[in-house]
Amino acid sequence: MNRRLLVLAGLLLAPLAHAGAVLLDGADLYTVSHGVITRGQLLIVDGRIAALGTQVRAPADALRVDLRGQRVYPGLLAANSVLGLTEIEAVRATDDRAEAGAINPNARALAAVNADSELIPVARANGVLSVHVVPQPGRTGVLSGQSAVISLDGWTWEQMRVREPAGIHLFWPESEIPDWAPAALAERMRKQLQQRRDALERALHDVRAYAAARGAGSAPDLRWEALLPALDGRVPLFIHADGAVALREALAFIDRERVGRPVLVGGADAWRIADVLAARRIPVILGPANALPRHRGDAIDAAYRIAARLAQAGVRIAIANAATAMAAANERNLPYQAASYVAYGLDPALALRAITLTPAELLGVADRLGSLDAGKDATLFVADGDILDARTQVRQAWIRGRPVDLQTRQTRLYQRYRQKYAPVPDQG
Amino acid sequence: MRRNRPSAAAGWPLAALLLTAAVHAPAADSTRPLSGIADRTPRVHALVHARIVTEPGRVLDDATLVLRDGRIEAVGRTVSVPADAEVIDLAGRTVYPGFLDAASVYGLQPPAAAEGKPAAAPAGDHPMAAGAHHWNPGVHPESDAAAVFTPRPEAAARLRALGFTAARVAPAGGILRGKGAWVALGDAPAAGEALIADGVSQDIAFETLPMDSGRYPVSLMGSIALIRQTLSDARWYARRLQWESQHPGAARVPRSRALAALEPLLERSQVAVFATRDELDYARALALAQEFGLRPLLLGNGREYRDVRRLQQAGVGVILPLELPPPPAVEDPDAALEVGLEALQHWRLASANARVLAAAGVPFAFTTRGLSDVSGGFWPALRKLVAQGMDERDALAALTLTPARLLGVGNRLGTIAPGKRAHLVVADADLLRSEQAGIDEVWVEGRRYVLRAQRPLQHGRWQLQWTGASGPAEVEVGGKGPGLKAGAHTFTVRALAGDGWLWFVPGAALGRGRDVLAFTVARSGEGLQGRATLPDGAAVQFTARLLAPEHSAGPFVAAVSLPALPAPAGFPAGEHARAGLPRQPDLLLVRGATLWTQTARGTLPHADLLVRKGVIAAVGRDLPIPAGAQVVEAQGMHVTPGIIDAHSHIAIARGVNEASHAVTSEVRVGDVLDPTDIGILRQLAGGVTTALLLHGSANAIGGQSQIIKLRWGADAEGLKFAGAPDTIKLALGENPKQSNWGDAFTTRYPQTRMGVEQIVLDRLLAAREYAAQRRRGHARDGGPLRRDLQLEAIAEVLDGRRLAEVHGYRQDELLAFVRLAQRFGFRPTFQHVLEGYKIADVLAAGGMPASTFSDWWAYKYEVIDAIPQNAALMAHQGVLVSINSDDEEMGRRLNQEAAKSIRYGGLSPQEALALVTSNPARQLGIADRVGSLAPGLQADFVLWNGDPLALTSRAEQTWIDGRRYFDRAAVAAERARIEKQRAELIALALPERLKKLGQELPARVPDGPAGPVSADAPADGRYDSVALAAWRPPYADSRPAHSCHAGER
Repeated sequence: MNRRLLVLAGLLLAPLAHAGAVLLDGADLYTVSHGVITRGQLLIVDGRIAALGTQVRAPADALRVDLRGQRVYPGLLAANSVLGLTEIEAVRATDDRAEAGAINPNARALAAVNADSELIPVARANGVLSVHVVPQPGRTGVLSGQSAVISLDGWTWEQMRVREPAGIHLFWPESEIPDWAPAALAERMRKQLQQRRDALERALHDVRAYAAARGAGSAPDLRWEALLPALDGRVPLFIHADGAVALREALAFIDRERVGRPVLVGGADAWRIADVLAARRIPVILGPANALPRHRGDAIDAAYRIAARLAQAGVRIAIANAATAMAAANERNLPYQAASYVAYGLDPALALRAITLTPAELLGVADRLGSLDAGKDATLFVADGDILDARTQVRQAWIRGRPVDLQTRQTRLYQRYRQKYAPVPDQG
Repeated sequence: MRRNRPSAAAGWPLAALLLTAAVHAPAADSTRPLSGIADRTPRVHALVHARIVTEPGRVLDDATLVLRDGRIEAVGRTVSVPADAEVIDLAGRTVYPGFLDAASVYGLQPPAAAEGKPAAAPAGDHPMAAGAHHWNPGVHPESDAAAVFTPRPEAAARLRALGFTAARVAPAGGILRGKGAWVALGDAPAAGEALIADGVSQDIAFETLPMDSGRYPVSLMGSIALIRQTLSDARWYARRLQWESQHPGAARVPRSRALAALEPLLERSQVAVFATRDELDYARALALAQEFGLRPLLLGNGREYRDVRRLQQAGVGVILPLELPPPPAVEDPDAALEVGLEALQHWRLASANARVLAAAGVPFAFTTRGLSDVSGGFWPALRKLVAQGMDERDALAALTLTPARLLGVGNRLGTIAPGKRAHLVVADADLLRSEQAGIDEVWVEGRRYVLRAQRPLQHGRWQLQWTGASGPAEVEVGGKGPGLKAGAHTFTVRALAGDGWLWFVPGAALGRGRDVLAFTVARSGEGLQGRATLPDGAAVQFTARLLAPEHSAGPFVAAVSLPALPAPAGFPAGEHARAGLPRQPDLLLVRGATLWTQTARGTLPHADLLVRKGVIAAVGRDLPIPAGAQVVEAQGMHVTPGIIDAHSHIAIARGVNEASHAVTSEVRVGDVLDPTDIGILRQLAGGVTTALLLHGSANAIGGQSQIIKLRWGADAEGLKFAGAPDTIKLALGENPKQSNWGDAFTTRYPQTRMGVEQIVLDRLLAAREYAAQRRRGHARDGGPLRRDLQLEAIAEVLDGRRLAEVHGYRQDELLAFVRLAQRFGFRPTFQHVLEGYKIADVLAAGGMPASTFSDWWAYKYEVIDAIPQNAALMAHQGVLVSINSDDEEMGRRLNQEAAKSIRYGGLSPQEALALVTSNPARQLGIADRVGSLAPGLQADFVLWNGDPLALTSRAEQTWIDGRRYFDRAAVAAERARIEKQRAELIALALPERLKKLGQELPARVPDGPAGPVSADAPADGRYDSVALAAWRPPYADSRPAHSCHAGER
């Protein structure tokens, strides 16, 4: 095939299937791990990054993609999401986020990921190429299940799997009773909170008892078999907690139970104990910057400043959207959450790291994802500007070296209705 | 008849004995047939030698009070005792007017219910079973306390024990609750005898029904609308009945006891007592009172000090509850984060509430209502107020004179004056300030109720004179510890039945070794006399005379050092209170900025903006600096018009949705603005200056909405955008047809898009007919026309005087409404309109604007075809498009949402910014005032620290009307003060709180199986924010928020 034609094709949005090596040429490479390589080259071979630098040796038959004036980023990793578990929030049949009951450490998010979700291409189209899919608690839920890191490309969830389990999820029982709630409702909520606390205590007792009696011959208890690796540090235990009280209790819990690899998720009030978190080396997957301050009396920019405060104290942070159905439909906005933290003092490079390499490290997939480094998966994308800017377009993407189709249900509808009114200005 | 001789020694116990034996007889002529022998005991009493407080501040010493047949005949120092009077010597006693409880439910509840507590749940059901009642169960103004009142002797005795002799009793449940009556708290067996006055008041409350009841009203605005329509109906009803009497052949309108019962209220012969729940309710009640010319009285909630100037200006009185807030939970510093500064401030200032009102001249009465423990809590609460600096005269007035005057019995009760009813309290002089003081007796309707058969010894130092032995020269009564202190010795005391005491005096006190001597002690005139017999048979005696009373019995004394009245704290209370509106400079020059004019002039680099008295005077480069101008250097900054959010639900109190009926165009967001909502300040910080506050989308035709400016620090009225058009919300699709409300909501019409279209059509037709009748000035049959506030609002849409804001998503429903609107000749603005791109040509041709989201989709079925290019595609087809938030959080970053339309659909930066500035201004009919930067427009603008379309930029200052309402640096600088204030208040609250906590809670250990826990709710949201909406008070944290994009109601 004519080389020139191939280069042209690379500039189009259409997916590009190519079995051999691909050379991304001329773009600024935002490696995350080692700065920016301006006008660099990056070679993809067999789905991995074979080499990158200002000048790399590429096989003669490598497909060269001219990316002058563009930027290449490692795929963004949505570190706390329900993408794949939900389709339309209001339609119950499409909702697989939360299993019934309090103690479900065995529930597997991966097994319920809908590979054909219409929400997935929408996330992908803005560079979100990997997702940490997190099972959620129901109203009474505490231990919600096993999460998985998936890449947003594959015919089935098996093909999408990057790591499973990525961890076990504990949603710390937290009071959300407004002091003005009518008495009957407040009482109901108090009871429910206590039930959640009790369920957790009981689960901890039972799992230890189970571990001690292991090998006694009875069939395995699915719940405790799933939970034990998180308690002894073989997999991370993600503890979801926001308020100061919940964080305090969670820290005491980590200490008491000697949790091996704890990661806090949410952390709205985490900045208040930033020094403790830094000293104890407990990382935090922060919620979105676009959140209201927790309390009326908090500083009006309190939610925006969390990231800079934690980073300044030396806490390792990842940045994620909220794991809501609403956010899953707009997982594409992940870089904008990071950008909003930048407006309030977070270093832009750190912000980018917080949606790429840091979550990859926390999720145990940094050997494959999170940065542009030789040997890692060629999961990356091309943008025409700063990915922390909402005006920037994502032009192309590869997952494990496979070119990604950036079309979505939305772009198809857009094209269709543009034709209704044709001619219209030919733009993005 | 025998005349009683004045006998101090005998008077007290005798009276007590008489009373227990007394058989009650009606006070005056009774229709009740006489049984047995007539009781002709004279009911004439002369209370002599009393200290009489005839009214607060007026004291007669050693005066006489003559009572005859339940009436005060004479009072004064020179009054002669009538020959037929029973004389009662009250030397050393103080007589007050009987106390009045201005808002009691005594005798209206089953005896089991605790007195003083209002009905716990909204009493939705009509208190009477049948009859021509109002359609709404909460509207029962015809219910009459006098008709259902039942004397409850034990409850009456409990209130008398506190000094109360009469109470205004009023129905407690409902919205227009019914008529109140004054009843005497005697033990008259028949209600009729206890009634002093009936129909004095109509109690009104902004009550709501539970959201899941599906009954009207579920929101505060619905409650107010119902009151408004009902009062309007009552006016019309009276005219209509008159007209019908002149037109005997005319059709009769349905008869209504409710509407008829409201006549006295509208004629001002009844007081309108408005129950208030928070500090914003005062203005709401006063506005209604003014609209209908009522005589308002507020049943307060303890926060009146916050809005005292309004009360002062309105000349309105207040019934004050006495319960004070408990110390806030501050012992755990982490949990204390849940306690806001406002709550801490209120805890601190609540006890000064009455003082602040007194200082402002706002009349107030007290009530026992709201006290969690009436019997045990009333006096400590009242005395606490006095101890903290309240003038005793004000406290007394609030129990006597003021309630009588405010509630229609000023000529009968409230003071001790000839001609008034004989309601008295006989007590210690220091009753209102001393924990030791007590009440001896109360008189109700001339009948005496003795509370303290034995008068206690007056506290103070008594001089002792001994005969037959020598003992201590002085003894102290009422000192600390048990017994009486006499020098180094203690006398133990025991009261004797009847009268008198036993004093056990240690022999050592009399120089007699280890014996203990028992003295019988009796009163002797003003003094005491004690006798004992020594073991040797010799008699010992002493007499005692009071040297120095512990408490002054003289005129009222003010507390020695008054705590200062709280300084006006600003509004809204809490972290970011503002003492007044920000200053408006006469001349203001913003210099050197990148100026986004959003006019044909485009974006000007290095340009200046000149503002004169809140209005833009000039826009251009290198404008001269006028003398005296305030200059804002903005080099390197960007200046844009203030952002306009065309779809917001902030600052709406107690329910965004009147989610009961399918048509609720009578409700008004403008009635329920919440200027304390912190969302106002947070959105100012995102550059928002104007917002359209929309009713929710639970009904096909929703409520009247309100355009505001985000004037943080203004009151509810001050938020309104003067001169902006009226608006109304309509809704299509899943929300009004209740698709996502759950299985309980499947019967209200409409349940389909078919029904939505038809019900809107039906009401438009009705409104058109109504408008025609209004033009004719009478109803179809020629009678007086009933004002229908629901149809009136819809008719205004047809007239083009009210903008219709139509919530809709799918192209089918949008198209149907387009055609409907075209048929009726009005041009709605569509809200959400996420499939607008599919019919952009239709919208453009119809000149119908669209206000949409940037990129939300997939949260419910009707938005699966939403695309982020919607705004741009519609704009390219010529639709006037804006982007809105519909969300408290997103409202802070509409500039960023606008920026997305550059990427999705290729708008230019100016076109993108127009989506949140000039375009929404045009949609709302206010583009001649705001939305762009041009001479003559109001100076609403934002200073950004960078390109406003970049995610990394921030609004640094936000100006409205040429006033700087937000300044990031200033707000940040407030933080230190806020933290200090918090710390100080917590330090004060902590000891109180620890006192209350008492003991440490034991650590809880779970035992037994936890049992199955049901997952009975959606994963998101641990409680139902919809059900909570109507409860959310001012200053609440924002967590239970409303968003009608996903809230489904």
